[in-house]
Amino acid sequence: MSFPILSLLILTPIIGALTLSLSSSSQLKNKTIFLSGLWITTGEFLLSLLLPIFYDKTKNGYQFTEYHTWFDKIDINYYVGVDGISIPLILLTTFLVPICLLCSLNSIQNRAKEFVIYFLLLESFIIGVFVSIDLVIFYVFFEAVLIPMFLIIGIWGGENRLYATFKFFLYTLAGSVLMLLAIIYIISKVKSGNIEFISVFTFDQQIELILFLCFFASFAVKVPMFPFHTWLPDAHVQAPTSGSVILAGVLLKLGAYGFIRLSLPFFEYASIYFQPMIFALSCVAIVYTSIVALRQLDMKKMIAYSSVAHMGFVTIGIFTLTQDGINGAYFQMISHGIVSAALFLIVGVVYERHHTRMISDYSGVTNVMPKYSFFFMIFMLSSVGLPGTSGFVGEFLVIMSTISVSVYLTFFTAIGVILGASYMLLLYKNVNFGDLRTDIKQLADLTNIEIFYFSCLAFLTMLLGVYPKLLFEMINKSISMSIL
Amino acid sequence: MINFYQFIPEIFILALILLTLCFGLFNKDRSISINAAGFLILTLILINFGKDFYISTDISLNTINLYVLSKIILSIGSIVFILLSKRPLKNENLYRYEYILFILFAILGSFVLISSDNFLTAFIGLELQSLSLYLMAAFNTKNLKSNEAGIKYFSLGALSSGFLLFGISMIYYDTGSFYMQNLNNFTTISEIGLSLILISLFFKVSAAPFHIWTPDVYEGSPTISTLFFASLPKFASLIFLFRVYQELNISGIQSLNYIFQIVCAISLLVGVYGAITQKVIKRLLAFSSINHIGFMLLGIMSYQFMSEGALFFYLIIYLITTFGIFAVLLNLRTVEGEFTKISQLNGLRFTSNSKSISMLVFFFSLAGIPPFAGFFAKFFILSASITDGFFFLSIVAVLSSVIAAFYYLTIIKNMFFNKSEIELLDDNNKIGKVIFISFGLIITLFFFYPDPLINLVDNLFK
Repeated sequence: MSFPILSLLILTPIIGALTLSLSSSSQLKNKTIFLSGLWITTGEFLLSLLLPIFYDKTKNGYQFTEYHTWFDKIDINYYVGVDGISIPLILLTTFLVPICLLCSLNSIQNRAKEFVIYFLLLESFIIGVFVSIDLVIFYVFFEAVLIPMFLIIGIWGGENRLYATFKFFLYTLAGSVLMLLAIIYIISKVKSGNIEFISVFTFDQQIELILFLCFFASFAVKVPMFPFHTWLPDAHVQAPTSGSVILAGVLLKLGAYGFIRLSLPFFEYASIYFQPMIFALSCVAIVYTSIVALRQLDMKKMIAYSSVAHMGFVTIGIFTLTQDGINGAYFQMISHGIVSAALFLIVGVVYERHHTRMISDYSGVTNVMPKYSFFFMIFMLSSVGLPGTSGFVGEFLVIMSTISVSVYLTFFTAIGVILGASYMLLLYKNVNFGDLRTDIKQLADLTNIEIFYFSCLAFLTMLLGVYPKLLFEMINKSISMSIL
Repeated sequence: MINFYQFIPEIFILALILLTLCFGLFNKDRSISINAAGFLILTLILINFGKDFYISTDISLNTINLYVLSKIILSIGSIVFILLSKRPLKNENLYRYEYILFILFAILGSFVLISSDNFLTAFIGLELQSLSLYLMAAFNTKNLKSNEAGIKYFSLGALSSGFLLFGISMIYYDTGSFYMQNLNNFTTISEIGLSLILISLFFKVSAAPFHIWTPDVYEGSPTISTLFFASLPKFASLIFLFRVYQELNISGIQSLNYIFQIVCAISLLVGVYGAITQKVIKRLLAFSSINHIGFMLLGIMSYQFMSEGALFFYLIIYLITTFGIFAVLLNLRTVEGEFTKISQLNGLRFTSNSKSISMLVFFFSLAGIPPFAGFFAKFFILSASITDGFFFLSIVAVLSSVIAAFYYLTIIKNMFFNKSEIELLDDNNKIGKVIFISFGLIITLFFFYPDPLINLVDNLFK
């Protein structure tokens, strides 16, 4: 297809942001700004729906490719394309960004124009990461994501936002620069940044191990894996609701996407060599962070720690290096993208009304907010992994694939599921049941807008849980290519 | 026989100096516009006929390209600087016609320095440049700090000139010649002589551990002079350092090579560690420039990737960013006078859109965050250094740039997150505004359309 749909996807939000920034801010009301932002992002979502419609699932390799020489003297090119691995993540991104704007309609009062502009830029950078097939532009977009996120947390965050946003930025940057060195080394060896060429190139084994670790440093911070995860709870707690949603929903997936897209095909030997290390770290992540989550008093922090645990499933699944494992991990990524985003929105709803995130400040919410408790339950159960919801499919596949590797691994992973159930149920019980506290009697139930986006998310969770083939059809072929 | 064609650019500047000496006394405003126009003509001449001046000489084509490109950059930089300097000088009551003469002399010195292949000529060029700089540092005679800066700069600069002369005389003792190309077989004495020359040049470009003058001089001098120290003369000295490195084939001499690598690593680290705790923005920029010098030294050492292209690209982007940042700083004033402290930037986001966003672009670019041009500058330098096998220095470089990101972020934090404490006066300098907005656009749009800048550095080195 000659229609440049991918470039259009990248450029639409940027152009939207430009037009917004050129309009004079004093005359526009916050609502108009948010509405125009919503129009742009909804258009973007509809545009991205063309991808799965026109994508040919029977073919191998990248589709909708666009190739332009960028630096013609040095072999760095603008080369974009999508395959089954990237399309669902692009859809997830374009789906979540309008929801982020919707949910901040009331909570973001000051500097609304900047807020919408940063979100639009963030969206186009994230899509850029998912569509690039050239290492240099992959890195450019991967890093550029930090700038709007830094500003979003720093301007609209909680009271300790400076610490959180600096930690987020510097942690991620420190990991990424090592990857930059590895990328430069690879390009100097292969003489090309094209991902397809690099996958067929074999490096010296020793060098491959070092290169793998450089990439690992970057992706492990982003996922985040166990010893590198400490930025995540801070960033989540301090970020505004919409920031948490996009952070948990999409940004964490950049790391896992990097593992599937780059680490596995580039470094086959090193992926097998480092398998035990990654399993060990992921197991620690699952068990340790689940226990930490059990003890949290802050709702957002608890969900943040649960994200680390769930992403542990993803890394385990990816590094089983089997089709089932990676399929499961990928499914878990998408499911976690929807569910954790929804859970952060759930916290955001009560935070906006009651201005506290402490679990102990809530009790018996179900008496005053029945609709809210209903949606909370759906997402809570999906996060736990109840059959029929999307959370189940991914966890089940990952656990099943671990048996082929080691029974101990299965044991730890399964413990993670039980622990996950216990903290989520505890959270749900403490917030929704029990005696109704007097100070939350006046809380209003969900508004129509909130019901609208929660039902969209709930519908997706159910749909993927009941009919997972929808996603597997898309990714099967591409994933089998990447582990070959 | 001497070929006078090759001196045309220098003679042109000399003519400008004489013209300014005669007429500048009577009409300062006109002398500024005359000089800006003069440099514009010089730029056009250099772009169109630059290479022809050197054709009948026995200089290699590559070196000719180097001369011409550096001189074009210098004269474009001079136009920008001369236009920018008028308003800040008026604000500080320093608007005297000597200042523009100093600029002209310093530029003349830089021109001589760039294209000298004789150590004595280089010494003359360097001194011509430096003496003007000392005067520019002390130009605000009523301000104690400015006097201190001038004296510090002068005494340390004189010491470094002493090193330079001593090194030259040792080489003369050994080879009996001042010419760089006659220096082929290195004995121990010429090695020592050359290392003394290198020390002097390191001092001029403020590479650590010869950087001690930099923060004080940057802070004390009038801001407009600081901009000049940070940009054009440093550029010229760096080009000369590059030529010394390449024409004398220093990469082949083990001991000098070590000196280069150690100075590069120390500059990278001292720059970032010094900058972290700074409260005064000019001191911070001084240390950050030391860090960037480390990158440039890395670029000098490695030239297999894009030949000199990587270094030149870095220099151009660095010059653009520096000019941009200082154009913003010069446009801001406090009630007490010049803008000094980082905390005075607080809440700039609420007072001025264009300034805060340009500053955001410049500082993210300095930190090397894509999609800004500063990232690509660092990317090319690192590509070159990794291709040449400087793995350890590359790792030091990227880790230092992570630490550097911290203090650049602090500045952005002050502008975007904090509320303003004091009232900033907007100087409303139209020229400054045009300069920082257009430079900010160049830095941003490079991502979308890199060809012009890349071709500029690349064509000249084929």
